[in-house]
Amino acid sequence: MVTLAETLAQNVREGELWVPLEGKRIRCYACGHRCPIFEGQPGVCKVRFNRNGKLWVPWGYVASVQCDPIEKKPFFHVRPGALAFSFGMLGCDLHCSYCQNWVTSQAIRDPRAVAPPRRMAPEELVRNAVELGADAVVSTYNEPLITAEWAVAVFREARKAGLLTGFVSNGNATPEVLEYLRPWTDLFKVDLKSFDDRQYRRLGGRLQPILDSLKLIHRMSFWLEVVTLVIPGFNDSDGELRQMAEFLVGISPDIPWHVTAFHKDYEMLDPDNTPPSALVHAAEIGRRAGLRYVYAGNLPGRVGNLEDTCCAQCGERLIRRYGYRILDYRITPGGCCPSCSARVPGVWAPSFRRQAAERPFLPMLA
Amino acid sequence: MKSTGDNCNMAYVIAEPCIGTKDTACVDACPVDCIHPKKDDPRFEQEKMLYIDPVECIDCGACVPVCPVSAIFVLEDLPEKWENFAAENAAYFGR
Repeated sequence: MVTLAETLAQNVREGELWVPLEGKRIRCYACGHRCPIFEGQPGVCKVRFNRNGKLWVPWGYVASVQCDPIEKKPFFHVRPGALAFSFGMLGCDLHCSYCQNWVTSQAIRDPRAVAPPRRMAPEELVRNAVELGADAVVSTYNEPLITAEWAVAVFREARKAGLLTGFVSNGNATPEVLEYLRPWTDLFKVDLKSFDDRQYRRLGGRLQPILDSLKLIHRMSFWLEVVTLVIPGFNDSDGELRQMAEFLVGISPDIPWHVTAFHKDYEMLDPDNTPPSALVHAAEIGRRAGLRYVYAGNLPGRVGNLEDTCCAQCGERLIRRYGYRILDYRITPGGCCPSCSARVPGVWAPSFRRQAAERPFLPMLA
Repeated sequence: MKSTGDNCNMAYVIAEPCIGTKDTACVDACPVDCIHPKKDDPRFEQEKMLYIDPVECIDCGACVPVCPVSAIFVLEDLPEKWENFAAENAAYFGR
């Protein structure tokens, strides 16, 4: 039987995000690890590897494809109600024990995680996205930075078709990979998982590259939304939540911050699921720090008005939501509040059509 | 890491086979520069082996396959006879 590792070793091409070191070693800079990789070895992600002194990277397949409401990414300030055609490959540069996508992200490390790859060309993927009525094509499920070359190939096609493009990422990026992505990528969702370097190291990363990337992603004018999965006992102290919120305010008070509820998954089974009260409390900390758009996620109908978008100037409710569902939409075609005309930061459609899909669904791929 | 309540660091540990070997391929493979002493460190000559800083380590495992003498183990797989090396690695860094 052909193993997953063998299949992956065949679906590759030469990468673009690397430099040679002495001997046959190379340095990959697709993610913040900047792995120095010996000949014959993979990087930390296990999907980018050095063969004969060159970097080879994943190419020509998808492990998951799904049609999601764009609210699920989550992007709350990007064409509400739109369909996000979402695809992922395999592997991750971190190994979070609470991963909710571990079947794809840890496929190479953990034999329990099986998501068989399917060969596909960028043109085919985008044709499917267009036929299904998607507004956006999003690289997600695994860590898209480690498959950035493939994402750009897909995004080039998506741009030709007039679609938005986005990354759902852990934010462990480098300036070089962001430069590489910028011409072809509109949207960036980044997880800020903790404000404690010790905790980040337990997940397999470091805090500083995440913070540097958040600043740069905003400065480079990608549309940025940030998510913090609030895990009891891991990152939910008032002090840590305040540090995260203040850091984001320091970049821009207009960055939407989604504090979302943890549920027991993969190997992290000890902490309790996050109760609604903890999310409401975290959101209050964000608001007090000065963030203008704070949302509580994963607990539909249980967090008061924290699923809604309100005007930061006059307080008017502009978008009413229940989970991924849009219940009301009042933003003007120009992206403003209809009451006070204040601009609402985001990537808005000229008009709100009915919601493309209220629930995620698996497409029949042509 | 299996739980959040656990305060001891994970980390990989360098054990006995490194003594006298000190190949340093692991140093060149580590993405976070947490294996010491390096060749240009004055302590390199006098130290009997290399050590992994359990606080700086990100638990990535990049050092394991490049070690020519298979001296590096993830903490839970550290052979019992070399158990003391976890503390030795930490002690080198004053942890």
